[in-house]
Amino acid sequence: MKKKIEENAIQLSKRLQMSKTLRDIFTSQDSTSLKIAFDALESPIAISEELLESDFNRYFIGPLSPIADPFSSIYLDELDQVMSKSTLKVRALYETMGFSFPQQNQIPDDHIGIELDAYYQLLYIEEVKNIDYLRELRHYFLHEHLNLWIPLFIERALACKEGPSKAMVYILTQLKSFLIRETNTQGVPA
Amino acid sequence: MSYSKEKVDTLLHNGISRRNFLKGLAASGVLSSFPGGLLEANEDLNTKIPYLGEKSYETFRNACPRNCYDTCSIKTFVKDGVMQFIEGAQESTYTRGGCCVKGNSYVKRVYSARRLKYPMLQVGGKGSGQWKRISWDDAMEIIAKKLLEIKKDDGTMLGAALTKYSGNFGITHYGIEGMFNSIGYTTRLAGTPCWPAGIDAQNLDMGNMWCNDPEEMKDSKFIILWGVNPASNSVHSMKYIYEAKKKGAKVVVIDPVFTEMASKSSQYIQIKTGTDGLLALGMQKIIIDAKLHDQKWLDANSKGFKELKEYLDKDIKLDDVSKVTGIPLEMIKELALSFAKAKPATIWMGYGMQRHTNGGSMIRAIDALVAVTGNVGKYAGGARYGHLSTWGFNYAALSMPKPEGSVGYTGPEGAKGEFAHGGGGEKAAYTDRFLNINKTARELLNSKGPKVRLLWVACKNPFSQDFDRNQLIRAFKQLDMVVVADQFFNETAKWADIVLPVATQFEENDVNVSYWHYWLSLNEQAIKPIFEVKSDVQIAALLSKHMNKLEKGSCTFPQSVDTKEMTIKEFNPGIYAQFGIKSWEELKHGPVKAKAVIPYADGKFQTPSGKYEFYSEKALELFGSALPKYLEVRKPYDKFRMTSPHSRWSLHSQFQNLEWMEDVHPEPSVYINPDDAKMKMVNEGDTVAVFNKQGLLRLKAKITDNVQPGTVLMYEQWYNNNIYNVNELVDDTSSDMGAFKTGAPGVALHDTFVNFRKI
Ligand code: SF4
Repeated sequence: MKKKIEENAIQLSKRLQMSKTLRDIFTSQDSTSLKIAFDALESPIAISEELLESDFNRYFIGPLSPIADPFSSIYLDELDQVMSKSTLKVRALYETMGFSFPQQNQIPDDHIGIELDAYYQLLYIEEVKNIDYLRELRHYFLHEHLNLWIPLFIERALACKEGPSKAMVYILTQLKSFLIRETNTQGVPA
Repeated sequence: MSYSKEKVDTLLHNGISRRNFLKGLAASGVLSSFPGGLLEANEDLNTKIPYLGEKSYETFRNACPRNCYDTCSIKTFVKDGVMQFIEGAQESTYTRGGCCVKGNSYVKRVYSARRLKYPMLQVGGKGSGQWKRISWDDAMEIIAKKLLEIKKDDGTMLGAALTKYSGNFGITHYGIEGMFNSIGYTTRLAGTPCWPAGIDAQNLDMGNMWCNDPEEMKDSKFIILWGVNPASNSVHSMKYIYEAKKKGAKVVVIDPVFTEMASKSSQYIQIKTGTDGLLALGMQKIIIDAKLHDQKWLDANSKGFKELKEYLDKDIKLDDVSKVTGIPLEMIKELALSFAKAKPATIWMGYGMQRHTNGGSMIRAIDALVAVTGNVGKYAGGARYGHLSTWGFNYAALSMPKPEGSVGYTGPEGAKGEFAHGGGGEKAAYTDRFLNINKTARELLNSKGPKVRLLWVACKNPFSQDFDRNQLIRAFKQLDMVVVADQFFNETAKWADIVLPVATQFEENDVNVSYWHYWLSLNEQAIKPIFEVKSDVQIAALLSKHMNKLEKGSCTFPQSVDTKEMTIKEFNPGIYAQFGIKSWEELKHGPVKAKAVIPYADGKFQTPSGKYEFYSEKALELFGSALPKYLEVRKPYDKFRMTSPHSRWSLHSQFQNLEWMEDVHPEPSVYINPDDAKMKMVNEGDTVAVFNKQGLLRLKAKITDNVQPGTVLMYEQWYNNNIYNVNELVDDTSSDMGAFKTGAPGVALHDTFVNFRKI
């Protein structure tokens, strides 16, 4: 019995860890922080810091049109636009969750990194602090928002035919499994 | 399901439930338990539940800074820090509540996912596509180091070059030139690819380029729209033309192309390209022969009418005029006489007409036609081309002193471009070095003593606009460093080492006036700059900080700026008096118009003689002819003439990158006359190759008799994901004038010749 609880605790922390790592990947601002976050995924792929970043930029950042823009509005609202309806819906959700966002109106609230940050923090208060007050909102966020667009985002990024990057495919696959686990089994591997 | 959708939806939309929920949240200990990240706990909830429901609109004053006649005054509606929509300002009788299709897309432009977001360094080398995100500090340090290295190696900053043009005409954007002034004597790509031959022509004739208020056109009795297409490119002027027409005025369009404007005119006259000057001279001859010229005005206000008349009598044969222009003589006579009889009558000349090897001389000939009929200096009259009379700002952002001990160029000094203002009066021992903007590739490749090593590109997209792409790539590649500051990624950015993301006008403060109408608009910062974009003057300030950190005193630009303070510094008593305001703050209530002045109504011309000069010694000295004599246009060097006018859908390369624009106007076409198409066995929709000694373009054919036989037309435009640039077929042959006032002659864009075949 005791062992079972311990195992659960390890699994739970893995779940938390994964949400944090994915957040860190998508909010990284330079090659070093990106590489640290990527290494935390423990992928078998060996890649230099520089190449990892230029692949990451080609996929998600720019300056050329990235393969998959990392904002929900791109998938849920009008093509090619940020700061639109779904951005503001996410903003309202954050406000209701008790968050404030110092970079509001500078970084769209529905940037994948910010959304993963919200998700990680919500999980954290449940898992580590045992506070359930926002659990229902987290589920709503997952099912009524994240699941509506992140699969489309992943699909678009994976469809990249020109110079697919193994590292990016790995990140996207991890993101996909994370979402599936969260959706189907609340983070516990099936 | 572990949640109720209805319940959460209610929470999000119903203020009372949300308030209650947030109260409970504060009590639950959530706020002190968040681990923190980019999102933080909203500690305010512990003391007071703030209002989080639907917010109301805030409004801001803005202006469209594009290179467009209309310079619309804009009112911007913002909710919760997000731009919602814009409208044309009601206060401006010119903008009158509406923008154009391009302006109406501003919210989409600002929030386009395609904006440049962060400073980036192309680590794999120019054109490699391997980009690294860098901080602003890193970007500026890299650039500052390169600049100081150039100064150390060469003993001067002349190895640093700036190319900037019309991407943003806001007054504080002259801070970009200011940034270059502040680092020493540098190299500038000078001149204008746009309207220089006409500027020179008007300056030779009248000592200035100064058009009447376009709003007066409503009272004109006769309007000739000569090579200008306001129905597409100055939509706000149309209401005055319509009003005049409704009141009985005749509106004649003279153009080689049957334009949208032509379809809305009283009469359309198709003229052979490059022969407009001859038509104007023929008309003058007819008018003078019929004694319909305004002798009284000419006696009092002009110089050289006698010489002009002699020239017309001797050298202008009406049969030749008809033959060369392709217009029946009867039609020319009727046009000339009815124009002379209508008072006031006016002519609006487009910029395309002067993009010929004889462009300046043609503008001079048309000016003369307006003057001969006594329509210069008259309300609702005038030879209209443009004006800069409301541009008397301080140019504080521009006027930066050189660092002490700066060494520069000692060669002959040139003028600096049509918008060159201020910048210190005293004659210095050194100057900047000016290279011809219309020969950018060649000038960069050939520069020496010292060689250009760093190029800064701002408010300009040379790869979509300039000539000779292959040379340009070579020129960019051999530079140590290319910095491109822009709002969007484009072909030029592709060949940069560093790209810097620039703010739109909604993310900064500025002030705007027009080169056509007489309104003044404040441009207020309406939203926070998105991502990491910065305004051009903030970039200059940051560069200054890093230069001074590396070498104290190496840059005189202020090391931190507030765009609002920068804007306020541009105002002066002269501007206040001209616009009848006491303070710039009055502009927060809406745009204001300059007090009405009729150009040259007082008979004072800023020419050497003080009069209208049909005979100009300056013209003789600079361009070899004192009179506006007919000059034959460039001889064909290939089968078909190619003209490349502007499209209504975009401004040069601006706007076309937006997705909705692509829907309207997805790909380039070449417009071919049915006779020519038949001869070449080309059908509508076929892909054709259009080629000449300069290059080859592949595009779809559109068959239309809107273009004359012997001429093909392609819009000067840029298309997303398409390297089409019509200027690849253009060589950089100069137009006749431009060097007098803008530092370099214009380009004879419309004297390009091509051939085509079906592929
Ligand atoms: S492009 Fe011209 S007409 Fe359109 S909004 Fe701007 S200034 Fe007005």
